[in-house]
Amino acid sequence: MIKCINLTKKFKNITALDNVNFTCNKGEVVVLKGSSGSGKSTLLSQIAALAKPTFGEVIIDGKRVSKMPDNFVAVFRRENMGFIFQRYNLIPNLNVFENIITPLIPANPDEKELEKKVDTLLDMLNISKKKNIIVKNLSGGEQQRVAIARALINDPKIIIADEPTANLDSKLSKEFISILKKLKDGDKTIIVATHDPLFFDLDFVDKTVEMKDGKINESNS
Amino acid sequence: MNLTPEIISILVLDAIFLLFSIYAFTISLQIVRKWDLNSTTLYQYNLEKKSILVATIIKYIFMLKIPLFIFFVFTSDKISNVITGAMCAAGVVNSVSFGLPLFVFKIINLFIFGFWLVLHKVDMQDEKLPFVKLKFTIFLVAFFLLITEIYYEVSFFNALDVDKIVSCCGTLFSVSSSSGLSIIFNLPNSVVISLFYGSLIVLIVGYVIKNHIFFLISNFFFFIISIISLILFFGTYIYELPTHHCPFCFLQKDYYYVGYFLYITLFIGTFSGMSGAVIKLLKPTYKDNFYKISLIFNLLYSFSVSAYVVVYYLKNGVWL
Repeated sequence: MIKCINLTKKFKNITALDNVNFTCNKGEVVVLKGSSGSGKSTLLSQIAALAKPTFGEVIIDGKRVSKMPDNFVAVFRRENMGFIFQRYNLIPNLNVFENIITPLIPANPDEKELEKKVDTLLDMLNISKKKNIIVKNLSGGEQQRVAIARALINDPKIIIADEPTANLDSKLSKEFISILKKLKDGDKTIIVATHDPLFFDLDFVDKTVEMKDGKINESNS
Repeated sequence: MNLTPEIISILVLDAIFLLFSIYAFTISLQIVRKWDLNSTTLYQYNLEKKSILVATIIKYIFMLKIPLFIFFVFTSDKISNVITGAMCAAGVVNSVSFGLPLFVFKIINLFIFGFWLVLHKVDMQDEKLPFVKLKFTIFLVAFFLLITEIYYEVSFFNALDVDKIVSCCGTLFSVSSSSGLSIIFNLPNSVVISLFYGSLIVLIVGYVIKNHIFFLISNFFFFIISIISLILFFGTYIYELPTHHCPFCFLQKDYYYVGYFLYITLFIGTFSGMSGAVIKLLKPTYKDNFYKISLIFNLLYSFSVSAYVVVYYLKNGVWL
């Protein structure tokens, strides 16, 4: 369970999040919608403990992640979270396999086991043949799949996606949504920040949260 | 002031430490007074950020102070060449009235700074940061010790006079010495040896029974007795001279710098024992190898000094 309590984030004079209270239960898919600058990405970064709040806190499965020292937060993220970014954030000169395993490098995993995990993910995402291709030579849709595989390699309980379909056409966006549905069936908690209308009427979305000027307007989907 | 490159290096570092430690002191005061990890206020988040920065500053100051002690000894030894009458660091240290107290003070600080580093490490390994207040409180005390040390260190180098004739170690560390040290030179060798090996046995017992207070005290006494026995007894076998009791000469090239090895080994052994015991008292569940390291290094030290005696006897067939 993810709980944000009185979460406030200020950047100098700008209030990016203003006393946000937000809850997301285990296995839920939550869509954060709102215009650019409404605070969606800031909220995601707070949930992922990528930045400390100015006030308030985030609690995940009883752990006060906002209060954790950085070294513990890094481990917590590595073990519990997967990230999908708008621009994929892949390392362009590495191949698909190398990009996917990057989150696990600090954990020094067993190579054979890792290879098996990567193969399973590539099969699931239909990009098995691209395993050894340098990612900068892949199409946008393929790169997004690699990013998804990278987000799933640590078998996270929580997946955080920030504008995941912003660089995809509608066909690829629908494919991405079908992957999200599969993940939801696998009992993953998913939080997606987007202003793509494709996400707003999905039957598997548990909650849609509208954000405006750093505040939220919660309504059940 | 006789400004050699070594002295300039120490003084420059002292100035840097002074500057950063004053900043660390002001933030440490805030942390000790206002730290509340449960609080989610802006002030607490700022304190958390600052505590990381300040702890890092303190960590690097103390991490550098430990090897700098060895450098201080090395520098004192090196400048003995220009101090009339001094044969080693002993003459230099004793050429200033507060030289020896400064030296002892530095050793005490070494243990305190080292303990702070250990406590910081233990604290950072627990996500609840249980020793934040304690470690910054210790720093508030250590700050004054650091400032005092810097003040006396600068005064020490300033007071060194190349025109002044000083006593050499042969005079300073002898029965006829006018300092308080002369008392210990009246101790018979049999008592010194018994105390040394007795304290080693007590230390081993402390390791076996894992009584933390017992191990802490036994390491403390082992350190004191080791220094005394090194000066009074074992040192004479290193020098192969029954009347030479200098704790500094074996830091020189003539004795293959063995003094550095012996002092560092003794420090690691006793420091690990004492700090490990205090950590166990503060956090009984903490897993570490301090006791094992302590025993290994204390035994290594004991074997090393004993080897000099045995080798001398095997070579010459007599005891000194």
